[in-house]
Amino acid sequence: MAERRRIVPYFLLGPGTVWLLLFFVVPLFYMGYLSLESGIVGSLSFSWNWGNYSDALSLYDTQFLRSFLYSGLATLICLLVSYPLAYTIAFRAGRWRNALLFAVVAPFFTTYLIRTLAWETILSDQSPAVDALRLIGLVPADGHVLATGSAVIAGLVYNFLPFMILPIYASLEQIDQRLIEAAKDLYASSRAAFWRVTLPLSAPGIVAGTLLTFIPASGDYVNAQFLGSAGNQMIGNVIQSLYKTQLDYPAAAALSFVLMAIIMAVVLIYIRFAGSEALMGEDKL
Amino acid sequence: MGSSGGATSRTGRLIGAMRQKRARALALALGVAALALGLAACGSGGGGSGGTVELEGEPSGKLTISNWPLYIDPGKEGTVKEFEKATGIDVKYIEDVNDNAEFFGKMQPLLEQGESGGRSVFVVTDWMAKKMHDLGYLQNLDKEGIPNVEKNLVSSLRNPGFDPNRDFSVPWQSGMGGVIVRTDLAPEVRSVCDLFDPKYKGKVDFLSELRETVPLVMTCEGVNPEEATEEDWMNSIEKIKGAVESGQIRRFTGNDYARDLTSGDAVAVIGWSGDAVQLQADNPNIEWRMPTEGCSLWSDNMVIPVGAPNPTAAEAWMNYVYQPQAAAKIAEYVNYVTPVEGVKQIFEKTEPELAESELIFPSAEFTAKCFTQAQLSEEEEQPVTRAWNAVLNG
Repeated sequence: MAERRRIVPYFLLGPGTVWLLLFFVVPLFYMGYLSLESGIVGSLSFSWNWGNYSDALSLYDTQFLRSFLYSGLATLICLLVSYPLAYTIAFRAGRWRNALLFAVVAPFFTTYLIRTLAWETILSDQSPAVDALRLIGLVPADGHVLATGSAVIAGLVYNFLPFMILPIYASLEQIDQRLIEAAKDLYASSRAAFWRVTLPLSAPGIVAGTLLTFIPASGDYVNAQFLGSAGNQMIGNVIQSLYKTQLDYPAAAALSFVLMAIIMAVVLIYIRFAGSEALMGEDKL
Repeated sequence: MGSSGGATSRTGRLIGAMRQKRARALALALGVAALALGLAACGSGGGGSGGTVELEGEPSGKLTISNWPLYIDPGKEGTVKEFEKATGIDVKYIEDVNDNAEFFGKMQPLLEQGESGGRSVFVVTDWMAKKMHDLGYLQNLDKEGIPNVEKNLVSSLRNPGFDPNRDFSVPWQSGMGGVIVRTDLAPEVRSVCDLFDPKYKGKVDFLSELRETVPLVMTCEGVNPEEATEEDWMNSIEKIKGAVESGQIRRFTGNDYARDLTSGDAVAVIGWSGDAVQLQADNPNIEWRMPTEGCSLWSDNMVIPVGAPNPTAAEAWMNYVYQPQAAAKIAEYVNYVTPVEGVKQIFEKTEPELAESELIFPSAEFTAKCFTQAQLSEEEEQPVTRAWNAVLNG
């Protein structure tokens, strides 16, 4: 019996491990090998070519910075939009709660691509939305929104919004209401109760939401492809172009690794920082 | 055809563009996987000819054709079905060529092994046909099997520079690159040079296809693209880069410029003749114009790769679509320049309007100033494409 109990966990881990090995670790190994080759398709040869990595950073630093700027801004806007919304759904929606949650998820019933293409129409030069922006002076009279960086950020915000809302909602929804009541009993104002009880307790949701938004947004290329222009391409577009039209697989592989490393570093720093924030919040409790 | 389009249908353009992008994403994923599998088998390039097709008796069996999307009349009454009925050959027609370079990237590891992935016919643009031939990836054709091509190929396409005797390529469709304008919004645009007029700032699209856009811009500088040096290429790329930075160029497109023209987001673009014919059918304000400095001329060609199964059936297909009746059916749907003699006479009876179109049946005077789509030498190719992609991904 004991013997079997010891085996069961490994058995349960099996499918996931095999999946990761086959579709993550093995391709990663080949990508690493590829990133040290030189030449383009047709003349590839392995040569410990670390130059691919320095080239990746020196040739495409603009696109890297732009990617993180766009995805960072998109994450921030998502957070500012999502938190009040998730808060309302969790605490104030009453019988509308399920309907509102459904509304958050509903866009997923349409594919990512179609939703992004729809923004081409929404932000088109003659669209009512852009006319309105011109009216309030946010866009110059002869200016346009589509094919600019703003359109790319707008697309990112729209596409990744549910990934921010849902984790925040989940963590807010789990908060024991009695804790907030207790805070008020101890003479905390509503505002103080929010800042010192609700917000710290929802921190895990915020951390999860920002990661789920920031990571995929950094590597995204669809929004820049459809809503951006030549000056707004993100690092994902560069990788796509290197792989598919320039056939420079080593450069593309090296670039992918650099992107992965930077995202990993950013995430680790963030988690450390956000983790200690959450702890401080608990201390104050 | 250019970087990101086959012909477009009257209805399927947007869906085509979307499908194309999605296909790219998928192909990227598959490409990485295929790469992992194929990595061990990488060798160095061959060279010269891939031999000559060997015909065997009556054509029969199975045939796989790779072509650009929306580049043939589809459906039960379509050319593929009629060919199957006429010959008993079982055709698998796949639309997996979205971009010459992409397609090359996908096929190259196989071709290097002397295999074609089961395909017997590819359709690729002139420069790619030459590149594949120079690498030894194509078979020479047995002219015995394609008498209709010998008989009906239009004279202007019989002796192109890259294949003077048409030894390994047979034109599928041809077309012209020039400007497409919204006559109501930018009536004065008559050449590629006019696209740099600040009046149209943020309202012009350029093609992302290097070999189409850059030579057309060269003509503005008084350079003949057929004799251009690497420096000429670089100068024109620099000029385009400036127009991107000043906000003059809205974006680079494949034939998804159709969307921008229709909505009026773009008032003039660099674009292809066949697309304009179709767009005009929906919106009479859209018009293709022969640039005052001349247009670019290109063909997409049927070729038979090394290792192609059933080359006999492949030649039977080429021969079949070179009957004027069959070619007319295709031309009526795709609206590009047909390479087959005798189609005009058929159209004069059935579609008199199309028969008169200079875009489908251009006269020698009409294309007098045009140049054949430029080739880059092996040494020029890498620096020029690199500079170009730096502009596209700025």
